[in-house]
Amino acid sequence: MALINVAAREIHCKIVYYGPGMCGKTTNLQYIHSQVPKDVKGDLLSIATETERTLFFDFLPLDLGKVRGFQTRFHLYTVPGQVLYERTRVAVLNGADGVVFVADSNKAKMQENVNSLKELAQNITRQNKRFAEFPIVLQYNKRDLPREVLAPVPTMDHFLGVTRMNWPRIEAVATTGTGVFETLRAISRAVISKL
Amino acid sequence: MDPQLTSIIVPSEEIAHIEECLSRLVDDTGSDYALLLDKSGQVISSKGDGDRQDITALGALIAGVFASTREVAKLLRERDFRASFQQGVRENIFIALIEEQWILCIIFNKGTHIGLVKVLTKKATDELASVLERVRQQHKARDEVLGSSFRTSMEDTIDLLFRD
Repeated sequence: MALINVAAREIHCKIVYYGPGMCGKTTNLQYIHSQVPKDVKGDLLSIATETERTLFFDFLPLDLGKVRGFQTRFHLYTVPGQVLYERTRVAVLNGADGVVFVADSNKAKMQENVNSLKELAQNITRQNKRFAEFPIVLQYNKRDLPREVLAPVPTMDHFLGVTRMNWPRIEAVATTGTGVFETLRAISRAVISKL
Repeated sequence: MDPQLTSIIVPSEEIAHIEECLSRLVDDTGSDYALLLDKSGQVISSKGDGDRQDITALGALIAGVFASTREVAKLLRERDFRASFQQGVRENIFIALIEEQWILCIIFNKGTHIGLVKVLTKKATDELASVLERVRQQHKARDEVLGSSFRTSMEDTIDLLFRD
């Protein structure tokens, strides 16, 4: 839940990037970090293994400045995607106000996407939050994959239940930045609407 | 709306209580720093020597560590680890949980005895637990705090800062 400090006139929101291993969660944060103005961003903190896979989380604080007298801060986190780190994901998800679910557009990764989304639903529910009302934005990443392996958008919609859940869905190529800020805008708006 | 999704609004007078409590803890233990975090890693208040520039990252990491130990507790079928202690060569960190929602963290050097920190932290967590209870009880309307036009202004800011 968001934290509103009336004395300091500050608002803090936590947004978590969730999804299967190697789907591009960290790449999203790296791109945001490389593009936002200096006065908006803090340092990008990564707790990764020697092979650069996320071990615990990546963390990027963004300071949006004063909005109607309130200093507004968004804290972006990623979770480690590998199946092994299920409990770590639960820890990072703690107190999140919104989630970007990054799905891999590779046909071969469809089952991993579905499993990860199911796990997310379970983890949100375990925090006594209603999954159906929780702010979620889907990002279909790696839309630049070759046609032979690229899953069509309607297929992904079908597998991930997008139409049923009415989630905003954005096509992206996080390595080049396509769709990265559109995703961030969508989740920020969704979180703000629940403040 | 789902109560879990509503924001925690900490009013000015409660922030004053929290600051007083943290200052007393730092003074009485001779610690370097005390900070109160939300379980999501956001810093609610901090007191101590000098201005730490790394406090946001510190908050995120400490909350991460604590959330992680909670999962360890579950695996051990332990209800919770209420406190944890990290011992360094120069600096030590003692972390205590307040009602599953807030985390109190004290940073102290070898000049301060851990026993004293434990005792006074227990006193402080009780005090902060009653602040938390009061914060939860009061249902101040968000529009009263933020103003009805806040959301529109916020959306404009988001569009401006997060553009491609």
